[in-house]
Amino acid sequence: MSLIIAGRALGVVALVIIVGAILYFMQQAYSGKMPTLRRLQAVDAIDEIIGRCVEMGRPAWYLMDSTNMTTPSILAPTVAAFQILSHTARIAARLGSKFFVPVTQGLAYSIAADIVEEAYRAEGKIDDYDPFGTVMYLPDGADRMYIINNMWSQRVSGAFFLGSWYHKAVIFTENAARVGALSLGGTDTTHNIPFLVAICDYSIIGEELYALGAYVSGDPTNTASLAGQDIGKYLALIIIVIGSLLATAGFSISGIFSW
Amino acid sequence: MILEHFFPMPDVVTGFNITMRSFTTIVSAAALMLGVIFLTISHARTISQQKSGWYYSIFYMISLLITVGLGLLSVRNENFLWIYDNMTSPTGAALYSLTAFYITSAAYRVFRARNWNAAVLLITGFVVLAMLIPIGGILLPPVVPLGEWFRSYPSSAGFRGMIMGTSLGTMGLGVRVFIGRQKEHLGVREERRGVE
Repeated sequence: MSLIIAGRALGVVALVIIVGAILYFMQQAYSGKMPTLRRLQAVDAIDEIIGRCVEMGRPAWYLMDSTNMTTPSILAPTVAAFQILSHTARIAARLGSKFFVPVTQGLAYSIAADIVEEAYRAEGKIDDYDPFGTVMYLPDGADRMYIINNMWSQRVSGAFFLGSWYHKAVIFTENAARVGALSLGGTDTTHNIPFLVAICDYSIIGEELYALGAYVSGDPTNTASLAGQDIGKYLALIIIVIGSLLATAGFSISGIFSW
Repeated sequence: MILEHFFPMPDVVTGFNITMRSFTTIVSAAALMLGVIFLTISHARTISQQKSGWYYSIFYMISLLITVGLGLLSVRNENFLWIYDNMTSPTGAALYSLTAFYITSAAYRVFRARNWNAAVLLITGFVVLAMLIPIGGILLPPVVPLGEWFRSYPSSAGFRGMIMGTSLGTMGLGVRVFIGRQKEHLGVREERRGVE
């Protein structure tokens, strides 16, 4: 019996390097050497959208679509969306904007409600927080008509579409655009990125979602994690360049993937 | 589970991992009850405050009572299954099909050459659409190889870059979870810097 399952040796090596890099940068961050993050345009877009809602006297909505936190590929964007939610809810509470967060998963609902309540309390506006109306749990399936109907009846003027988005991306963003809402969209779900980019007024793509979450939270763990992930990207770039050169020169590189 | 992916493991470890995955499914299903309660509160409020369209909420209440009542009798109840097969399932499919109409209007919104970026999107979008429709290749034969090239090279390259970025993000999250710096999946918020 082989020590490693065939074809996965390269994966083990990559895993060790990337995890090592992430841990190294975390250690650096805890000792006071925080990596610098570029300020994304979306940070200003959040202020602009909430400000517009206050001026127009209409609500801002924060939607996250799939928030199934037991699926790793959904958990990562959902956690980033929570970090941005915390920042956005504070701005909404501070400026006095009506704020609504529908959530379609039980665990995510309890966390989102906790985040928004804390944000309102931190801004001294806890009386504006409605425990049954600001953050609402809508079962998946029932949410579509509820959201579309209320988007029109409340004439939403600002909308955030952040997290893990699937087919609802195009339904909700298109309705928000039709109702005249200024919107910010961002997901790492590759097949839905084009819809959010095309329809939303502001957009963040792929891992910019994680970067925005880390930026607005100011959390050293998340910021350091991003720096470690960059090492993984450099590693991938090097492998791609070397592989392209070898393949162009006529060397077969398919053998290394079967190790 | 990570070790199981890379290294051969004894059956007892594999069996334990399967059991753990089943637990997550059961716990997730229990959360549905919470959703029903909140949705019912919302509709009850709509009725009591006579908000716009409040009468639709009465339909919700009646539907809920009938479905829950029949479901409590038995989930194999003939009438309960009839509701699922002939009402719930087609309604879900109809709602899903809304996507097609919204994609069309979204495409109209996007495919306008307002600047050179949008013009590039318009041209490539047109070529790929023309390649995919049966008559496109007959009317404009060059769109077939051109469309295939767009899909195979620029599009694939862009998407793979994004997939790499998101995969690395998931690995970063995994590390944070393992070292106990990210606890949202447990319903616990570790970072509370936003509220000082």
